[in-house]
Amino acid sequence: MNLNIKTNNQEKCDHALVDLYNVYDPEVGLNIVDLGLVYEINFNEENKNVECIMTLTSQFCPMGEAITSDTTNSLSSSFPEWKVNINLIFDPPWDFSKISQEGKEFLGH
Amino acid sequence: MISPLIGGLQKTTNYKVVLPFYLYASIGFLVGTILLFFSTDAVNVHHFNPQTLAITHTMALAWGTMIIFGASHQLLPVLIEGKLDSDLLAYLTFGFAAIGIPILVFGFYIFDMGLTLQIGGLLINIAVIFYMVNVIASSFKSKHRNVHAWFVIMATVWLFSTTFFGLLLVLNFSYPIFNKNSLDFLAIHAHLGIVGWFVLLVIGVGSRLIPMFLISKYTNNKTLWWIFGLMNGALILFILLFLLETPTIFYYLPISMGLIAVLLFGNHCYKAYKVRIRRGVDQQVTTSLISVAQMVLPIFALIVALSILPSESNPSIAILYGFCIFFGWLTAIILGMTFKTMPFIVWNRSYRNNAHRAKTPTPKELFNDNVYKIMLYVYLIGFLTFIVGIMLLQQLILKIGAIALIIAAILYVYNVFITLTHKPKLT
Repeated sequence: MNLNIKTNNQEKCDHALVDLYNVYDPEVGLNIVDLGLVYEINFNEENKNVECIMTLTSQFCPMGEAITSDTTNSLSSSFPEWKVNINLIFDPPWDFSKISQEGKEFLGH
Repeated sequence: MISPLIGGLQKTTNYKVVLPFYLYASIGFLVGTILLFFSTDAVNVHHFNPQTLAITHTMALAWGTMIIFGASHQLLPVLIEGKLDSDLLAYLTFGFAAIGIPILVFGFYIFDMGLTLQIGGLLINIAVIFYMVNVIASSFKSKHRNVHAWFVIMATVWLFSTTFFGLLLVLNFSYPIFNKNSLDFLAIHAHLGIVGWFVLLVIGVGSRLIPMFLISKYTNNKTLWWIFGLMNGALILFILLFLLETPTIFYYLPISMGLIAVLLFGNHCYKAYKVRIRRGVDQQVTTSLISVAQMVLPIFALIVALSILPSESNPSIAILYGFCIFFGWLTAIILGMTFKTMPFIVWNRSYRNNAHRAKTPTPKELFNDNVYKIMLYVYLIGFLTFIVGIMLLQQLILKIGAIALIIAAILYVYNVFITLTHKPKLT
């Protein structure tokens, strides 16, 4: 399984992913990791700061606020003492190739 | 600790702006079907009669237009890739339309072509002006105006043309505005609304939403621009031919243009369906796809009507045409799209800030899916039965069809009601 999520701390990233697998796009019904919305998760040990660089299927996705809020809550749950920053980017834009194999299977492929 | 705000995310339209339109429209649908039940004897008389006018305007305004107003306030930011310009204008649109529509419908029902209709028509026009200003201001403040946005902009301009012309026709009963009777212009008024407003808007929004809900990568802006040109061209040509009083044979040209546009749209949806990422298609999208197929029915009814003109000899063909549009295509797409949009708006209202703090239901769990399925089957039975009733001019069949449609409307209202009154459940 190659999720192509960049990180500066693989161990902590794996810990974060456990919870992020439970963050769903409410319309698609698929979690944001398999949907390919998470690009990068970085950790700043000094400032106790976790930054998640992610995207949405569209900048004007009506569920965008809910998804980012859910992601924030998820990371706060994984790292209770840490400050969570969600950095939402749209370049590169999300496309279908970013869906994982598991995600494609979930969608019937 | 949680970051206060996430940059780069476009805020969605406030749910308080949108949801009243949905509630109002659902009641409008129920009222429309009840009026239909009590007006089945009007299917074989000329369509300019109190019952048919009241039903048509209930379905066109209270049902179709109000729900499109609601949905478009929510979806406009997605289409124009910007934000809704003014919540206040949206509230004013609702307020004036909500008061004006029942006055207008009542005016038609009691056949008062004077003050009652004038007040209703004026209030509706004010509502439409507020809506048009909001759509145009939102669109032109956005950096991006894609083909979908142009569909919505043009549809809105046609809507205002429809309601303003309608108001002039009403005034023409009391004051000599035109040198002809208002009845002579009904076809223009009707097609401004049907083609200019409903068809253009549904194609513009549907061509964006259907691929989005299917998670399909198919897109073809060139085809959509062709559809845009053909539909607008067909409408303008129809109006010119009508005003120039050309022979019937000429009307086949705009009808053919419209038919080609509808077939292109159908093909667009089919191609999006073929390359969809999401294999399973839910009932709501299926309903919307059925409605795309239903778009062809009124065109065939129109061709039949034209081929046996004058329609006075067979007024039920004109009724069949209107029925296929308002109770067929338009109703089907609304039945489907209501439950692809409204539950998400309510879900956002209830769980946007609570997600992941506890287990939340999915948007689809906010309404009763079994009731939805029953509603869909009952609706299709009612729709087809009523068509048979129109063709055979059998009152009993018409009544059975109308009862089925009332039941479908009750089930629809039930699902809308339980969705709107949903209380957050965190477990």
